[in-house]
Amino acid sequence: MSQEPSNQTLYDELTAYLDGELDAEAVRRVEERLARDADYRQELHKLERAWDLLDGLPRATVDDEFTKSTLEMVALSASQEAEAVAQELPRRRRRQRIVGIVSMVAALLVGFVVGTQIWPDPNRDMLMDLPVLEDLDLFYQADNIEFLRLLEEEDLFPAEGPDES
Amino acid sequence: MAVSESSAQQYQLQDPDVRLMLQVRDDNAAAFDELMLRYQNRLVTVLEHLVGRRDQAEDLAQEVFLRVYRARKRYVPGAKFSTWLYTIANHVAANALRSRSRRHEVNVTGKVSESGASSFLDKMAVAASGAMPARQLDKAELRGIVREALEGLNERQRMAVLLNKFEGLSYADIAEAMEMTPQAIKSLLSRARVNLKEILEPYLEDGTRPQ
Repeated sequence: MSQEPSNQTLYDELTAYLDGELDAEAVRRVEERLARDADYRQELHKLERAWDLLDGLPRATVDDEFTKSTLEMVALSASQEAEAVAQELPRRRRRQRIVGIVSMVAALLVGFVVGTQIWPDPNRDMLMDLPVLEDLDLFYQADNIEFLRLLEEEDLFPAEGPDES
Repeated sequence: MAVSESSAQQYQLQDPDVRLMLQVRDDNAAAFDELMLRYQNRLVTVLEHLVGRRDQAEDLAQEVFLRVYRARKRYVPGAKFSTWLYTIANHVAANALRSRSRRHEVNVTGKVSESGASSFLDKMAVAASGAMPARQLDKAELRGIVREALEGLNERQRMAVLLNKFEGLSYADIAEAMEMTPQAIKSLLSRARVNLKEILEPYLEDGTRPQ
């Protein structure tokens, strides 16, 4: 049984069977064939034995020096990280301060706009009535507003201009 | 990789090493020491069989641990811890092997084609032909044969074999660590097993090797 492309599926199946990666139906199919096909059984046996030989490969055991030097490398990395953060700090603080000031100014502007909408300026009405207020004494001397309107329409008292005399 | 909250919690519950790594994320130095002690021998073993040199394997293992530490703040449990660790190890080893081949160094693995042909096979063929006397192998010789057989696999096959055999990772976990599909891992391991069988066939047949 050589490794022809047509055999690839067969080996995929045997390998997955050995690794416990087949579903129940595929396991049943493989076991049925194993029961009746001696060549198939032999291939499975060879694959399994070759795989088991890997158990004899040496496993590494590192010494204390490895552990120590690795931890030193990590500690160095940690201190470099902390240093970078410390260097970044004044720049970050400055950025934070600018952002804080800008935010405060924006908040004040928004507050002002909203405030003027909610609470109108009490002096605004007085400013609108200013021309009347300025001549309030004169208006008190006339008894009614209709009489004043008539005077204005007659143009008896044109606006004061420069003294012509 | 986006990791859902529920799967992160699941890994946290199931894998004590994930819980340790989360403590490392919170700057717990003792947790990092513990993780290192748990994995250093296993990692160096895998890397040594992968790159073929103990000193380089140790250097690469240190690089892997350093990357784990530097990545701690971004760590989200999206797999078993060992799967995550070997994903990093696979990248580090692949980079090292790539730069080594770029420098035209001697290929210690005696790399062969997918079919597994190698000078070792030729030697075995000579032995099988009876041109050289054959004898029963002792344990050390057998280890040498098996190591050569493993080195006869290509880099990806070797990594998949080591993760499956030494680390007991499932096809799905190996697929994640090697950034391949489980189906591709199934084929990779199948070809690796067939190659190993073919390389070791003379020993499996009569228990001998050339002197």
